[in-house]
Formats: sequence, structure tokens, C-alpha cells
Amino acid sequence: MGRSVTIPVCPLWIRGFVTAPITPIFLTAEKGISMNSVAVGTAVVELRNINKSFGAVQALRGVDLVLRHNEVLGLVGDNAAGKSTLMKVLSGAYIPEEGDIFIEGKKTHFASPMDARRQGIEMVYQDFALANNLDVAANVFLGREAVRTQLGPIAVMDNRRMEVEAQKLLNRLKIDISSVRLKVERLSGGQRQAVAIARATAFDAKVIIMDEPTAALSVAAIGKVLDLVRELKALGSSIIIISHRLEDIYRVSDRMIVLRHGLKVSDTPVEGDIHEFRERVVAYIVGARDDFGGRAAADKRQEA
Amino acid sequence: MSFIDHGKKQLRGNIREYGMYIALFVIVVGFSIATDGVFISSRNIVNLVNQTGYIAVLAVGMTLVIVIRHIDLSVGYLSGFLGAVAAIAMVSWDLPVSATIPLVLGLGILAGLLSGFLVAKMEIPAFVATLAGWLGYRGALQLSTRGTGTIIIPDDAFNAIGNGFVPDIPGIGILPGVHHLTLILGFLGIVLFLVSEINARRKLQGYESEILPMEMFILKLVFVTALVGGITWILAGYQGLSWTAVVVLIVIIVYQFITTKTVLGRHIYAVGGNPEAAELSGISVKRLTYAVFGSMGMLSALSGILFASRLRSATTTAGQLFELDAIAAAFVGGVSAAGGVGKVVGSLIGAFVMSSLSSGMNLMGMDISYQYIVRATVLAAAVIFDVATRKRE
Repeated sequence: MGRSVTIPVCPLWIRGFVTAPITPIFLTAEKGISMNSVAVGTAVVELRNINKSFGAVQALRGVDLVLRHNEVLGLVGDNAAGKSTLMKVLSGAYIPEEGDIFIEGKKTHFASPMDARRQGIEMVYQDFALANNLDVAANVFLGREAVRTQLGPIAVMDNRRMEVEAQKLLNRLKIDISSVRLKVERLSGGQRQAVAIARATAFDAKVIIMDEPTAALSVAAIGKVLDLVRELKALGSSIIIISHRLEDIYRVSDRMIVLRHGLKVSDTPVEGDIHEFRERVVAYIVGARDDFGGRAAADKRQEA
Repeated sequence: MSFIDHGKKQLRGNIREYGMYIALFVIVVGFSIATDGVFISSRNIVNLVNQTGYIAVLAVGMTLVIVIRHIDLSVGYLSGFLGAVAAIAMVSWDLPVSATIPLVLGLGILAGLLSGFLVAKMEIPAFVATLAGWLGYRGALQLSTRGTGTIIIPDDAFNAIGNGFVPDIPGIGILPGVHHLTLILGFLGIVLFLVSEINARRKLQGYESEILPMEMFILKLVFVTALVGGITWILAGYQGLSWTAVVVLIVIIVYQFITTKTVLGRHIYAVGGNPEAAELSGISVKRLTYAVFGSMGMLSALSGILFASRLRSATTTAGQLFELDAIAAAFVGGVSAAGGVGKVVGSLIGAFVMSSLSSGMNLMGMDISYQYIVRATVLAAAVIFDVATRKRE
């Protein structure tokens, strides 16, 4: 965050998208078939009327969010729109002042990230959050090591089992890393992101949240990470993905929510061709369009 | 690929680890030649082991402290102070050895937890917190020995820890004049090593492409067997294993096990590698900091016991500069100041490299001033070597 404080009407990175779009052939294909399955899906996560402020700054102002089973939801917005704050609320890092969290219809309360994790909410952090001095298997199982014997307070690890399980996991997700014994410091950026994602999926997560999973990656690595997201969906995961790269959102998401100044301004299926999609999203991001304008205005009146 | 190519590749890949063994080998051979074999004599080797013992146990604890990105400067005087407490407990309070040792170890753990509290809870940089400990324990040592000066320890059982030897099994006729128990232990150690290495290799072959080629593997086994066998033979030719060696061996085995096989060990290295990631994974960095400093305190106490026992007394300057020797041993042994990297066995070898240097130079009658300069050069070279090999990766 904090790439620019005073944002021009249209930030540079968005302008880049508008004026010089890259359109590989497969991106121009119409989307729509997957939408049917989404409509029937039931909600795995529901956030209702989430409010969170930091001092005088209201980061989230009554945001609602629904994530359905086996759905990939894109979360978009300018810097400081509240995307990361919203996801930190869902992953237990922040406690909202107001609002409710429902997991599979049951109201819950998260006091810490571990709390959220226990209930199946996994977060993949922007900076990977891996221990580079440990190997792939150790990172996948970090904090949840398989124990062979318990000698009083000392737990002896079952290294063999962790290695076998980690290898199986990599195979299932089609992640290409030669050995789970490789130290993470020897992996490329894309491979590290893949390990971080694999780690989030290792323990039957209900929801996987990815914060800018492609921000630090090369073009080739981005393709692989997006393939991985699709693979996860095919395996039945429900995913929320935050990204500045609208193209990535378009390529993997079923639905998209746009936040602006802590308010939800759009909640629509990802459809149409990429040009039309991009223009529409940019309009929401910069404030030219707002599907929930009525409510936002009402909230403002209430505050005043 | 030929045998030599494999050797080169292996050496290049593990240069950091092998470098240390090569250095120790060069030092031992060099001094043995320079002193006409006095250096490698049974008597000198036993002396060397007993002298290194109290630094080696500190170096083991220091390894973990540095791995989690901290430092502990207080361990030297803490060890001196606790040695004095042990002496007072036996002389003035009439406590038996069996009560004195647990008492002192317990006090050590408490002192370590206090450092841990300052670092983990109060968030004072470890350098400052333990510098305060350095001053404090120095004062405490002087206070406790002020009335009497050097406290002579009359207890034979206690003094045996630093000077005595493990008794031999009586009534074995073969090989007279050789310590049989030492030979048996050495033999068992070698067998255990061979079995575990062969098992590990078989396991690896199942699902890993990159393993040591057969010739290199055999070479490694032969090298280690010869090394352990040689040391065993030298020790057995004198009076066998000293109690200090037994204590150091137990510490090394326990810490090697904890760091490589247990969840606790895994978490210590994870915290060293990336504290934020560890915390996000549900590992309590604070609790680990307490555990690591607590273990450091306990090992300081053990070091104090070894030293007091070796001198058969508690002196007013006991423990002076131990912390720096332990830190140097850890760095020579391949611990990285950046955290997350370092093995306890490495630090043990590091401790032996440094004390072999001192011992060898003493035998050669070298001026103490030059000795310091030589040791400084070795320490600097070890760290430069470490940083350079890390960069190349």
C-alpha cells in the first residue's frame, strides 16, 4: 500500500490498462457458463455491515460481502479503498467495530488470525510469509507439524510423513518444484508464491484469501499462479483474490466486488470481453459509477 | 561424472560445512607436526577436551540464541557467579553435590528466563538486556567471593566432573592398559552412525534424485569412522573418557535431537528465518524466546559447574570472557548473524577449532599477544568465508 498518496483522477496503472491493453486470444472469449453454478452455490462466508476505523479514518463503512461455495471472488479498488482491511477482518487480524461474520450460515467472532484459521479461513500474504531458511515441506507444515511421539513437553516430528504429504499436495496442485527438501531461498518468486498458496490449502481450508498474489511476480510466473487458482477452484475451493491487475481478476474470477473509500460500489459477475470489463471496473474504481450510491448517500446523511 | 568431479561438486555445495572440518584437520595435523606429536598425545587431547567443555556447552546454547537473532553477553559472568554459588552451597550451606547441581541448574534457568523476560516481554534489545546482566552478574560474583576470596571446593565427587574419568569395566584381560569402556562406547557410536547413515540413504533413494554418489558416501563413512575411531583410541590409551567429555556429549546429543527432530527445534529455526511468518503461523515468538534464553541460562550454570569443578574452586574472575569465546565458537562453527542458520554440532567444532589453536600455540611457546592476533584472524576469516559462500549462492 501507500504507492501514492494524492491520487490523480485516474491513477497511472489504470491508465496503462486503458490505453495499452494486452489482449491474448484466450482473453477475448466470452465468459458466462460458470455463472450458473455460482448462482446455485450457497454462501460459505457472509460479512454484514462491517465497519472499521483507524482513529479518524473510516476504513470500512458498512460493507457487505458474500462468498459462495466453489466461487472465485475478485476484490478490487484503489489504494486505501479498504480491500486489505476487509480481508484482515475476515482473517481475524482486525476486529471490526460493527458488523457480523457468518461462516456457513453460523455467526462467528474472530479474536485472532489463529481463530480464523481454525475455522478454515486461510490467508496468503502479499510477501509470501515463508521462512526462507527452511525447506518446502517444513514451510507447508509450519505451525502444524505432524507429530510422531509426544515426550512430555517435547513433540517429535514425523518428517517423513510431512515430506510425503507435502509432495502429494504439490502434485495435486500441479506445482512444479523438484523436491520438497529444497530450501525456500532457492526457489523463484513464482514457486514461493505457489508454496504459500499450497500451504494455505494443506488443511482443508473453507476459504482462501489471496492478497495481491501476482504483485511481485514475472509475467510467466503470474500465468502459473493463475493456473493454480483455477486448479484450486476445480478442486472445490472458495477463493477471494485481491489484485491491482484487473486482467488477473478477469482471468480467474467468477464475480467481482469493487470498493471505494470504504464502501462497496459494485458487486457483479465477471463477464463480457476484457475491454468492456476493464472500462466498467475502472469507472467503479475512480468513482464514475456506483451501484450502491443510494445507501452510501444515506450513510453519509446518518453520519452528518 | 568422475569420482573427482563428484568430489569437487560436493565440496562446492557444502563448502561452508566442510570448511570447518578441514580447518580443524589442518590445525590438528599442523600442530602435531610442529610439536613433534605432543599435540596429538593422549594427555594433551584429554586436556583439550576438558578445557573446551565449559566453552562448548555455552557455544551450544549461544547457537540457538543467535539463530533466533539475539545475543547473550551475560553468560560468562553468570557462569562464574553460579560456580561460586555451587561452591558456597557445598562449603557454607553443607549441601550435598546431588542437591547443589540441580539447585544451580535451576538458578541458571531462572536467570535465563529473566533475560528472556527483558527481551521478549519488555522488548529491550538483547545486546543491552544481557549487557546489564554482564554487569550485574559480575557484581554478584565479586560480592559472593568478597568475604573469602577464592573458595576451595573440598568435595571429590564434585571435582571429578572437571578432572575425573569414567571408571573402566573391571576384569577384562585383553588389551591391558587400555580403557575398555571407552573402546566399547566408541565402537557403539560408530555402529550407530553407520546404521543411521545407511538407513537415511536408503530412505532418500525412495523419492529423491540428488543423493551422494556411492564412492563419496563410502568415503564419508570411512572418514567419520576413522575420526571417531582415532579419538576413541587416543582417549582409551590414557584414562578413557573424562566426565567432562560425557557431559558435553550428552548436551550435544540432546540439543542435536531437539534442533533437528522436534517441533520446538523447527520453530526455533522458523523464528530465526522469518519471525513475522512464524507468528502468522501461530508460533509464539515470545514463548520461544523464553525457552531459548532459559536453556542458555541452564547451560551457563552447567558451564559454571564444569569450570569450578575443573579448578576445584570458585574464583573472583571465573567466567571472564567466556561469552566472547562462546560467541566466537558459534560464528566459527557456521552460525549466521542474520539468524535462522547454524548447527549445534558446528558450534562444538568451532569451540574445538578455537581451543586447539590456543592449546597448540601454547605448546609451541608462542607469545600470548600473538596468540590473540592469530585467533582474531581465524575468527574474521571464518565469518568472511561464511559471508562469501552465502553470497555466491
